[in-house]
Amino acid sequence: MFFRRVALFAFAISVAPFACDKSSAPTRVLRDDFGDSVAIPRSAPTRIVSLNPATTEMLFTIGAGSRLVGRTKYDLYPDSARLVPELGDGLRPNVEAVLGARPDLVILYASQDNRPAARRFRAAGVNTLAIKNDHIADFGRTISILGAILHDSARAQTVIDSVTSTLARVANATRGTERPRVFWHIWDAPLITVGSGSFMDELINIAGGNNVYADITGPSGPITLEDVARRDPDFILAGPIGAGTIKSDPRWRIVRAARSGKVLVVDTLLVARPSVRLGEAAISLANQLHPGIIR
Amino acid sequence: MKQFRNAYWWLLLTALVLVAMVAVARGALPLSIATVLDALRGRGDPTAIAIVRDLRLPRVLLGALVGAGLGASGAALQGALRNALAEPYLLGVSGGAAVGAVIAFSIGVTTDAAITLASFAGGVGAVFVALAVSRAGGRTSRADLRTLLIAGVIVGAFANAAIMVALAGAQPNTVRGALWWMMGSAADATWRSVFWLFLSTLVVGGALVYWAREIDVLALGEDTAASLGVDADRAGKRAFILSALLAAGTVSAAGLVGFVGLVVPHIARGLGIRAHRPLVLAAALIGATLVVAADLAARTVAAPTELPLGAITALLGVPFFLIQLRRLS
Repeated sequence: MFFRRVALFAFAISVAPFACDKSSAPTRVLRDDFGDSVAIPRSAPTRIVSLNPATTEMLFTIGAGSRLVGRTKYDLYPDSARLVPELGDGLRPNVEAVLGARPDLVILYASQDNRPAARRFRAAGVNTLAIKNDHIADFGRTISILGAILHDSARAQTVIDSVTSTLARVANATRGTERPRVFWHIWDAPLITVGSGSFMDELINIAGGNNVYADITGPSGPITLEDVARRDPDFILAGPIGAGTIKSDPRWRIVRAARSGKVLVVDTLLVARPSVRLGEAAISLANQLHPGIIR
Repeated sequence: MKQFRNAYWWLLLTALVLVAMVAVARGALPLSIATVLDALRGRGDPTAIAIVRDLRLPRVLLGALVGAGLGASGAALQGALRNALAEPYLLGVSGGAAVGAVIAFSIGVTTDAAITLASFAGGVGAVFVALAVSRAGGRTSRADLRTLLIAGVIVGAFANAAIMVALAGAQPNTVRGALWWMMGSAADATWRSVFWLFLSTLVVGGALVYWAREIDVLALGEDTAASLGVDADRAGKRAFILSALLAAGTVSAAGLVGFVGLVVPHIARGLGIRAHRPLVLAAALIGATLVVAADLAARTVAAPTELPLGAITALLGVPFFLIQLRRLS
């Protein structure tokens, strides 16, 4: 399914020629997740602002890190990303600060919040790419678009291949094992968990678990502590801060997994980004749910 | 005396123009004065032109209109209700407008124009519900303005509760958008939104200034007003509806910008202006200056992160208000 989407996409952009003889004019165009057209210029962009931690990681991985002239305050991986000027938030970004970096490409997350900003970047004549990357399949889609725009599809394909083969390896290793029921703790007040609309739900499945809140269709949703106790998960996944709360707050004692210390601490920078380390994230989750299953 | 008053007008106008000029010149990105002047004339670097003409100018104008509307609305209300603590948001307008916007968000409406329209409709709707409630509560044929105020507060509280229920089950995306809106912001200003707010402020504000003399009479008390031949009931309702419409326009353009409508009339009265026609005008000018200055602070103090405009206006406005209260007591 995943491969087919990538292949279809590659096909779609290759058959959309845009005949034009000016050297600065785009050779091809594609539609982004706002339905707007994005130019694939003849020469690769040299000043990119990435307002999404996942795309920042991808750009570094395909060797375009030095082309970045702006990022959000949440883009902290890889370490060299910290050297790129920080331009504030990725949702409702500061349009003036982004334009001030004089980008020839702005990449942002395609949520309703970002529509006005995307419109303004376009109005100022900046090539703008809005991507909604909530699922694992979106990772391959996104990085192939970036590869096409940067004229380095081969490198993008290598990254896709390596991530997909790692994910397949983890999925194979956990196939047929007992599948523990997992509750993923995202936020404490209000209590928020992962729904089936998120790549994190897909990661749980690949790592050999079942999300107790797969019935939430969006990427995430608010829930109550009593309902967590009722669904009685075998494991709780949480970041370091959340895990601290779960272990120390007596209210959590009503949940069996919390009472019996089945709280697994995850590295949120690794497992909460739908990007180039998805494979690594799946391995670490699989080894937490099934110790020693992958070496 | 007349000349002295004229001096105030020049002072207020100069302050507004100066603050507006600084607000166009400064922003998240430092641009030299020469670059800004060139960009205003459409010359030089295209990025600078886009920043000055399409980001900063509409934003400053929108801020000025929002401040003017809230200031004028507050001045008229405080006069008509004879209560120095009255403010436009107490009328339930803000809550109604928020309900309109959130309903639009949650049924998947995405265009700015539709959301603006929905929030305006919500604000106006809340005013009419408040009018109906006050009529239901009044035993005499003459509607009491204080009943109207309480009705507005109740409608507003109900609207806020409705928003909270709607947001509890909403997608994080919607919640964030609504929160941003409830903190007030001029960041989404476009020439189109400036045009529409200008039009509504001009028409409604003009009507308010035209009828402002009635507020002078109302301020003397209803019986005195009646003996002077003013229908206090109608005059009060008129001031109420016009103030609410002005505020609804600002809310639909920039969300909830707190404290301006409460504080600005006090500053205007502090200048010694008593008659409501000049008071409403002066409050409009002061409100415009305050909001433009607050928005400048919102986008430069912690750049590139933007601070919520409504919080800045409260931070700037409350000390003014306290000084004013001390002077009055």
